[in-house]
Amino acid sequence: MEQIELKDVQGLIIRGYSGLRSAYFVLAKITDAGRFKIWLGHHVHEFTPGDIRPKSTAINIAFTFSGLKVMGLNQGNLGTFPLEFADGMTAPYKQAMLGDFGNSDPANWEWGQKADDNTHILLMLYAVDADSLNSLYTGLKEQMDTNGFTEWRLMDTTELIKRKEHFGFHDGIAQPTIKGLNRSDDDSNCVAAGEFILGYKNEYEQDNYSPMVDAGMDKANVLPASTQAPGMKDLGKNGTYLVFRQLEQDVEGFWKYMESKTLAPDGNCDTQQMIGLASKVVGRWPSGTPVVLAPEKDIPELDDKNKFEYRNSDSDGLKCPFAAHIRRTNPRDSIDTAKSTSIQIVKRHRVLRRGRSYGPPVATSMEPMDIINASDKSGKRGLHFICINTNLALQFEFIQNFWVNNPKFGGLYDERDPLIGNDSNPQETRRTGTFSVEEDLVRKRFTDVPEFVTVKGGAYFFLPGIKALTFLASI
Amino acid sequence: MTLHGALTIILNIKPGMKPQLAGKLQAIDNDVNNNSVIPFSKIGSIHFARFVLCDGDPTVPGPPILDRLVFTTNYDLPLDSHINDLLQNAGRGLWDIFSMCDDFISGTYDADKLAAFLRANDNKPATFYVGVGNRSVSLIRQENLLRNEVETYLDANRNSLANKSATDIRAAIVDHVFSQPGFEWTKTPEPGATANWELSRDLKLAGIILLLLLFSPIVIPFVIIWWLMMWCIEMSEKDVHCPLDYDHIRPLIERETAIVQTQFSAVGVVKPGWVRYQTMMFLLRMTDFLAPYLFTKGRLSGIPTVHFARWLIVSEGRQMIFLSNFDGNSEGYLRDFINIAAKQLTLMFTHTVGYPKTRLMLLGGAKDAKGFMEWARAKQVITNVWYSANPGVSVKNIFNNANIRNGLYGNMSENEARKWLKLL
Repeated sequence: MEQIELKDVQGLIIRGYSGLRSAYFVLAKITDAGRFKIWLGHHVHEFTPGDIRPKSTAINIAFTFSGLKVMGLNQGNLGTFPLEFADGMTAPYKQAMLGDFGNSDPANWEWGQKADDNTHILLMLYAVDADSLNSLYTGLKEQMDTNGFTEWRLMDTTELIKRKEHFGFHDGIAQPTIKGLNRSDDDSNCVAAGEFILGYKNEYEQDNYSPMVDAGMDKANVLPASTQAPGMKDLGKNGTYLVFRQLEQDVEGFWKYMESKTLAPDGNCDTQQMIGLASKVVGRWPSGTPVVLAPEKDIPELDDKNKFEYRNSDSDGLKCPFAAHIRRTNPRDSIDTAKSTSIQIVKRHRVLRRGRSYGPPVATSMEPMDIINASDKSGKRGLHFICINTNLALQFEFIQNFWVNNPKFGGLYDERDPLIGNDSNPQETRRTGTFSVEEDLVRKRFTDVPEFVTVKGGAYFFLPGIKALTFLASI
Repeated sequence: MTLHGALTIILNIKPGMKPQLAGKLQAIDNDVNNNSVIPFSKIGSIHFARFVLCDGDPTVPGPPILDRLVFTTNYDLPLDSHINDLLQNAGRGLWDIFSMCDDFISGTYDADKLAAFLRANDNKPATFYVGVGNRSVSLIRQENLLRNEVETYLDANRNSLANKSATDIRAAIVDHVFSQPGFEWTKTPEPGATANWELSRDLKLAGIILLLLLFSPIVIPFVIIWWLMMWCIEMSEKDVHCPLDYDHIRPLIERETAIVQTQFSAVGVVKPGWVRYQTMMFLLRMTDFLAPYLFTKGRLSGIPTVHFARWLIVSEGRQMIFLSNFDGNSEGYLRDFINIAAKQLTLMFTHTVGYPKTRLMLLGGAKDAKGFMEWARAKQVITNVWYSANPGVSVKNIFNNANIRNGLYGNMSENEARKWLKLL
């Protein structure tokens, strides 16, 4: 088994810092690369590595493709980054791939559009509480402008209790376990380190493409030799790619829709029915218990909410609809091929999720009943979705394209992910989604599912290893 | 029952005409259904069609391989009606396009000459795979409309049907469909294959198996020796790496904007040698022969998304052209090759230069996912014009729709009706 060099890996890959409840995401522009590199060189060791579990604060840093250009990588070296990273999230052909149409069209984004060249670096600041976060942030901010980089967008986060997201559902349950970290898990959920960290074997038992630099550039001699090409050094080793998507959630619209579809004959709303339908959309109950294991009602006390399958227990989708969010974003054993092949295929398309919510909760209890009954649901809120993968095309983009926004997923006809899918492709006349809930004889079908989640911004980042940071500071 | 053909016309482009031809093809592709040159949607016998401009390849030994135009259709047999259909709706357009190529008839438009030319210049593929069953273009379209009609009916009548038995619900659906204007065709089942046709098909296979068994004392040692010979050849062959070139790949994926289906066109160079060539031809033809027996139900070696695919050996055996139409995008399609059908497809593709190293033509190959993807992308070429007659229907939809339609007839038990309702 390969030994993962935890010391050289930025900590966010290894852990989500859940104990550090407050976080800021800072987008910054490099205004003076020379000064910034000097600063970076002095502060490399302040970026939290993977071998320690931070108790009070943590900070990690990632670069966009244009950020790396500004740092001084030459064209040839930049060309060793994968096409997906070089072209970014907003190249025109990515629109169909990622489902960024209509309100989610990059033209309407608050940040990350192609024309925007302000996003060079992403600084991720974590702290145990708001006060320590603010002092961490203030300390950093004071250093910024005089050291060649400047903040242009500060993104706050909100910790919602019980690990919920704004609609009221327990989020982040199905995380893959990285092989080689001595963490125990079911084999179907243990995924090769190379899927998340460059420089290790992936689920094809191969090394993913890793960016390289000419050996001569590494004057400080910190990078390992490349295994892909002679005379080159491996810039990617212990690094990875980070996807950032700002996803705005329409909590009011979400629950209003559930209400409109579950009204009792007398016109009264039935909150249990509303929660039931919403859980079919998600594939889990608000507590996180999968509907496959609890088809009738929530069993919040269920111990292991990540241990379940579809093939034998729900081949007809009577418990969990085929189109449900979690059945498509992680199909487990349900892909139409042999069971073991399905599990293997899925392992080749997993991501580590590291997102955080933002904006005020509708109800601090995060209980769906309280969210539904809250009189004021106005305000901007959502998820700063962050995921980590070594192959953007095969992991994040594949999930978006093949599973989330594929109307033919799993033999369906015209159903996308009812929670996060995008139904605004201009080639189609319809502007709403379809969602079928399989039932004993005649399925229920909803053909007017509105958009609950809108993309407001996003970018692909390179999250280098610590030595690679030292190298970047040295060029 | 409808069987299918794969028309392939390959012509050298007249020197200097390529830019003009490319422009003309782009104009067609911009409005592939209704353009005035070749209004594909009027040509009812076509499932899929494409034009591909293939660059010449000066690196291949032998007579020079020049820039070529490839025109292909997947059509409903018989060929004569397909050619009539082409001539009636796009004869002059085809004439104009082919006139930019060498070895085409000169002079003004002549339908009879064009028909004869198409017949004479049709390249038979070494392997032709059909993933849509024995279904015509219009049957696929109609059965999809039928499914939509039934779904809409269920949406509107769900409450009144809720307390009925499965057989009663089915009866209500059948009544509705049969009384619906435009759906008169559903009243009689789609005629299947005749018993004679099935018998002759099965006898062919039985005959071959019998022959193999009879001659097994000779065949088996022969195959073993041949296989070992291939192993030696494989070991002696140099590994050719296909570097990734983003400027080559980007325009390929930029064209993948359709929502449901897409296409793949690739041109590879066949490895040299007589043994290699004979092995390849045998494997391709064997697959061609066996595909209708092995890959029924819309699965090409287990891959459930391929509508049609063909392998052509051209340029006196020096090049392989592979063309396919499938659901999803090329990234997912190629991944299916690796994840689901690596061995079978390796047997067919390993004969081209740059394919990841194999042992005994089965081991290695597509198991090297990186090498396989690099090879596939390097060999992929732009499909200049691409047309699909039923662009919103997946292979799985086609088969599900047929099952829905076939369930309209005869009596069903409660259980059978229950199962049938699950298709909806």
